[in-house]
Amino acid sequence: MTSASRRLKSREFADAAAEEMITSRSFWADARGRFLRNRMAVFSVFMLLCLVVFALFGHTIAVWNYEEIDWAVLGQVKTEGGPSLENGHWFGVDELGRDLYARVVQGTRTSLMVGFVAGPLSVMLGALIGAMAGYFGGRFDQTVMGLYTIWISIPYIIFFVVWQAFFGRSLTQMIIVIIIVNWTAGLLIVRGQVMMLKNREFVDAARMLGMSDMAIIFKHLMPNVLWVVVIYTSLVIPEVIMAESLVSFLGVGIQEPNTSWGALISEGARTMTFGTLWQLAFPAMFFVIAQVSLFYIGDGLRDALDPKER
Amino acid sequence: MLNFTLRRLFAVIPTILVLIVFSFYLMRLAPGGPFTSERPLPPAVMANVLERYGMDEPLHVQLWSYIKNIVLYFDFGPSFSQKDRTVNDVIAQGFPVTLTYGFWSAIFVLVCGVPLGIIAALRHNGFWDYTMTGLAIFSQIFPNFVLAPLMVLLFTLSWGLLPGGGWNGGQWQYIVMPAIALGTSYMAGVARLTRGSMLEVLNSPFIRTARAKGLPERTIIIRHALKPALLPTLTYMGPVFVYMITGSVFIDVFFSTGGIGQDFIDGAYSRDYSILLGLAILYSLLTFALTLMLDLLYAWIDPKVRSSMG
Repeated sequence: MTSASRRLKSREFADAAAEEMITSRSFWADARGRFLRNRMAVFSVFMLLCLVVFALFGHTIAVWNYEEIDWAVLGQVKTEGGPSLENGHWFGVDELGRDLYARVVQGTRTSLMVGFVAGPLSVMLGALIGAMAGYFGGRFDQTVMGLYTIWISIPYIIFFVVWQAFFGRSLTQMIIVIIIVNWTAGLLIVRGQVMMLKNREFVDAARMLGMSDMAIIFKHLMPNVLWVVVIYTSLVIPEVIMAESLVSFLGVGIQEPNTSWGALISEGARTMTFGTLWQLAFPAMFFVIAQVSLFYIGDGLRDALDPKER
Repeated sequence: MLNFTLRRLFAVIPTILVLIVFSFYLMRLAPGGPFTSERPLPPAVMANVLERYGMDEPLHVQLWSYIKNIVLYFDFGPSFSQKDRTVNDVIAQGFPVTLTYGFWSAIFVLVCGVPLGIIAALRHNGFWDYTMTGLAIFSQIFPNFVLAPLMVLLFTLSWGLLPGGGWNGGQWQYIVMPAIALGTSYMAGVARLTRGSMLEVLNSPFIRTARAKGLPERTIIIRHALKPALLPTLTYMGPVFVYMITGSVFIDVFFSTGGIGQDFIDGAYSRDYSILLGLAILYSLLTFALTLMLDLLYAWIDPKVRSSMG
């Protein structure tokens, strides 16, 4: 007898099965159970929470402020500026003698903020427009699709440059411009889903009951495409963090002395030829931890939510 | 087929026009410009400069002459920030560089990604399958702006095998790192996609039939499974190549290859409208051309698509 069949015949399994029969379970409860069984995904959520805690409270144990220049090490960053416990620079200092630990905390804060605010908001915007395009069809749909084609063929760096010329380079502006650039995220997939769903009986029934179009979209269609939106959001968040990092790397991102992972990595990459490797290693490490966690969370969500996977 | 091609070509024209008008106004309406500096120019000089570049006329007149010059003479106008250079010069100098390593990068993506995906599908849940999944995760968390510094650190600073930047007329040593840094994440994407579609094809009825006929496994894979399995990869390669060309901005900046990405960023800093707009048009023309080419190729391979084109 294999272990699987032994498990099938065991008492515990019978109990569990019986219990499952009694408590009716919703789709989301089901999905939650599947997600929680995925060890890697749960561990990733834990790692991400650690990063959030680090971003929120990391500065309380920092000895230095992220804009403060330590004049004692400035000018001899290469020899004196490495990570050390004595002078409070746990991650060393950057090229300008600022404490790297405090700067990494600040960068984590910025990058996570950009990811978790701009990512979901842009997917929501795209999902709303996509749902409307799919539901109404016709000319509105054509206009949206035409705009979509044009939009994705404009190099997005232009938007960052132009937006900054108008409104400056603060964190809020960064988030707004990322939402504007990314409104196409989630559009196509939600549009396709809605086009598929809108001919189903429950939509007809709602229409017959006299519900308005927008009410149908929000009350009946959106809940049905929510799983797509959730999966898509989990994919967009790391992408947004990466986009912000790339833009900061290229020097059109967030304004100094505020910083982000991308800006820190770019400084580290620029100075690594001088042998100050810690300036690259620490920001890159945090960036990589975040990306790995987000990857596995996205993976777990897809496995838990996608009906095809079951 | 011809009909389809012509219809697509005509659809491109209004799209490009909207793109030009939109980007033109977007950039012109933003405060500041190529001639704004810390110390403002005397009004008389400023007026002269503006007249020299035809910027004293109303916007729509400028737009009209800009479009006219492009259509009639394929002339994108002079650069505002680089004296004595036209945008055509900039493109002629930088574009071949970007195309060269972009081409090699695409080759790298295909030559490594496709076989890797196929092997992973054939050894489903085996060693190669896990290796590939690992690689996919790796490339996701090491985007090119983390990968490129790491590669320079290893191959240039530690082992001294490859030059860490520059172009030098396009000798192969100078192409290797940009091409790999640019292609890695797409390579993993291609591998993952190929694996997925190969698995799907291998489980489909006609492969079962082929197996039942007693065909050798090699024939089944090469003659029957390969072609349908590669179709999704092919559609994916179009956008990928475009992303690679536009995404090369970072590579150009980091490896100082002298490609158009550098000019694009410089143009963004100095608010050089003509360069920004010219390159944006170039990028989107490239997008459309490649998408069209791939659609045609797709039709050539897949008879079902061909008949639907009319």
